[in-house]
Amino acid sequence: MESAEAEPSDSRPEEDGAAPCSGLPPPEQPGATMEECLAKKMEITVSEAEKRTGRNAMNMQETYTAYLIETRVVESQSEGQCAPVDSLWRRYSEFELLRNYLSVTYPHIVVPPLPEKRADFVWHKLSADNMDPDFVERRRIGLENFLLRVASHPVLCQDKIFYSFLTQEGGWKEMVNETGFQLKADSRLKALNATFRVKNPDKRFTELKHYSDELQSVISHLLRVRARVADRLYGVYKVHGNYGRVFSEWSAIEKEMGDGLQSAGHHMDVYAASIDDILEEEEHYADQLKEYLFYAEALRAVCRKHELMQYDLEMAAQDLTSKKQQCEELATGTVRTFSLKGMTSKLFGQETPEQREAKIKVLEEQIQEGEEQLKSKNLEGRDFVKSAWADIERFKEQKNHDLKEALISYAVMQISMCKKGIQVWTNAKECFSKM
Amino acid sequence: MSGGAAGTPKPLPSSGPKSLREMPHPLAPSSSEEMGPALTPSPDLLLPRSIADKDLSLPNGTPVDTSSPASSSSLLNRLQLDDDLDGETRDLFVTVDDPKKHVCTMETYITYRVTTKTTRAEFDLPEYSVRRRYQDFDWLRNKLEESQPTHLIPPLPEKFVVKGVVDRFSEEFVETRRKALDKFLKRITDHPVLSFNEHFNVFLTAKDLNAYKKQGMALLSKVGESVKYVTGGYKLRSRPLEFAAIGEYLDTFSLKLGTIDRIAQRIIKEQLEYLVELREYGPVYSTWGGLEVELSEPLEGVSACIGNCCTALEELSEDMTEDFLPVLREYILYSESMKNVLKKRDQVQAEYEAKLEAVALKKEDRPKVPTDVETCQDRVECFNADLKADMERWQNNKRQDFRQLLMGMADKNIQYYEKCLTAWESIIPLLQDKPETK
Repeated sequence: MESAEAEPSDSRPEEDGAAPCSGLPPPEQPGATMEECLAKKMEITVSEAEKRTGRNAMNMQETYTAYLIETRVVESQSEGQCAPVDSLWRRYSEFELLRNYLSVTYPHIVVPPLPEKRADFVWHKLSADNMDPDFVERRRIGLENFLLRVASHPVLCQDKIFYSFLTQEGGWKEMVNETGFQLKADSRLKALNATFRVKNPDKRFTELKHYSDELQSVISHLLRVRARVADRLYGVYKVHGNYGRVFSEWSAIEKEMGDGLQSAGHHMDVYAASIDDILEEEEHYADQLKEYLFYAEALRAVCRKHELMQYDLEMAAQDLTSKKQQCEELATGTVRTFSLKGMTSKLFGQETPEQREAKIKVLEEQIQEGEEQLKSKNLEGRDFVKSAWADIERFKEQKNHDLKEALISYAVMQISMCKKGIQVWTNAKECFSKM
Repeated sequence: MSGGAAGTPKPLPSSGPKSLREMPHPLAPSSSEEMGPALTPSPDLLLPRSIADKDLSLPNGTPVDTSSPASSSSLLNRLQLDDDLDGETRDLFVTVDDPKKHVCTMETYITYRVTTKTTRAEFDLPEYSVRRRYQDFDWLRNKLEESQPTHLIPPLPEKFVVKGVVDRFSEEFVETRRKALDKFLKRITDHPVLSFNEHFNVFLTAKDLNAYKKQGMALLSKVGESVKYVTGGYKLRSRPLEFAAIGEYLDTFSLKLGTIDRIAQRIIKEQLEYLVELREYGPVYSTWGGLEVELSEPLEGVSACIGNCCTALEELSEDMTEDFLPVLREYILYSESMKNVLKKRDQVQAEYEAKLEAVALKKEDRPKVPTDVETCQDRVECFNADLKADMERWQNNKRQDFRQLLMGMADKNIQYYEKCLTAWESIIPLLQDKPETK
């Protein structure tokens, strides 16, 4: 009895990003090297954001923000000549469409995430309103970051739809829809928490999925607490501003102490005002963390896809096995396993040899089909694991590098804040000494 | 607010434990000889003697303060002492330290060691070491207020602590109180009149203070006179400009201090709330570090760094609570008691003016001003002089105290930021470390 092969893949990573064999029409060539990446050949910026009003699908008036994407081809040869800048406007929903397309078309790739749709992890000063200028500004930066991430990805940068997104204003939506990618999207992926009883998943993916869950949890926690920390720190600084006022009032009734008090009060005002810039800078750090919070989701999605593929494979193998068994039983006339058909035929009489022959023939056809499908599914699965793991390794390195940089910049921000604090209090101390 | 007695050689009599009635009128012809007999007290009364006379002592052997500010010679000595106090030649040093808890059947309380080192003639020994509890300090202050009503008596730390659940026996509370009690005695020590007060002397030297306290009460009731001379019942028409100015100043001053106290408390509260969040924040980095491989050390480093900042912040808040707030409150209490002294002064002046008016209305042909009106005038002028002198001294000390207090506040904040800076700077190399170099 042939049991279906649903093997875990070998763990040897590929050098380049391997081409996916998911049956969709992506380019067959190997992934681009760093130099060939679109990011190197083209300057991409999201330079402006503009409020627009228009009519939506239900002909109701809506307000939305449009973002200006500017691109310019980098001329490596000529030094002096600069190519002209191309530009077009896109709104957030179009970015979402692009990302969905990429996720479905490249299921083995950890697709870069979009900035958050709605303002989350806010502390009291920031508005949760999508139309708030600060939020729009940070989203603009986030969208630019997204495009740059895609453009620097060895596989994704070669995608034609992506290129058109950057360069073709009209008809892009139709082009995307014509790829029919929505049909290939597995609706089961949407049920994030649905479990599939997979017997032999690749252990690395199981561990990775667990890691991505933990990572999401810890970064969310971190962002929530950081927002509270920012809120409290704001309070501490601002209350010091009250010293400015009272020192000023006090200085009015003093003779020798007056000047010292007055100027010290001024420094207290400076101290209180300094927190605004400090916390605004820290938002950039929070954004960096958020990007990886969302990246964790993308990572999880890849693991999920592997799970589903493996599940389908095991189901197909199981189905094949049972068909083969049926075939054997019919051929030999023995009933190995209980089946309703077997029972009914026992109860209601045997079939005619002709009927049996027909059945066997159908089964044999199905078995052959099934074996071919199983073979290709196995191949698919192995290829998926190989190419997915390659991208995961690439992603891990990128993540470690980026987060280290983020932590360094955070430490630098803290150092700057401490130095400012020392400066202000030293100035105040000098004023007090002159009292 | 210029000092009266300190600057001019005008022999204005200043009050002492002695009643003014005993003192000769400043305008009356006086000489040391005349003063001598007038100062002979009955042995029952606790009255000051001239510095030369050391015969008087209490029945139980405790020496009595023998300086008499009234005599011109002692006055000159006092002026000299005033200058000396600013310079190097101080002759009285008092310290409060070594708090100890005493557990008795009836109560539990703390005593403090009061150490005195002196070369003054008023003290029999050059050194004393006694133990005193808060109520002894309270007694002293009351005695000083009674016996030196024209002077500004420094404040004591609050008797009862109402705020929250404060442990009377916690190290922090006891230390804060000790510092305040030390400051209280030092301020008296620095005062040219108060430091010669007999009650102060007894406080510093007596082995059994309670016995003295009881005796003092008995003697007073025997004599049947109160050394207080706040007469009451007279309404002042208007405060002289300079005292009105002092009154206004004190009003605004204590108002502003109250505001600063509230701001400081608010800041401490916000800092503690910030601390609560930080305490949750740091460990999350550590948890994350547990998930990672290459990022494990950097994340642990950040977590530890935040922990260090927490410690630094805690120290800052503690320092502000223990060192900054109590001094502010002391000065608010000081202002309040000073305002009361101003009111007493008003009373004295009101009495004088009323009596003067009464005399003027009589329209008798009296070549000589009646004695009691003269006495009132003495009192007023005495009071004014003492108050002005004390006010100037107070202003100076206040300036120094606040200079020190606010510089201290700035210093603590600088230290806090320096600790945090060190912590963050030290992890930069850790964060930048490449795995290959390990």
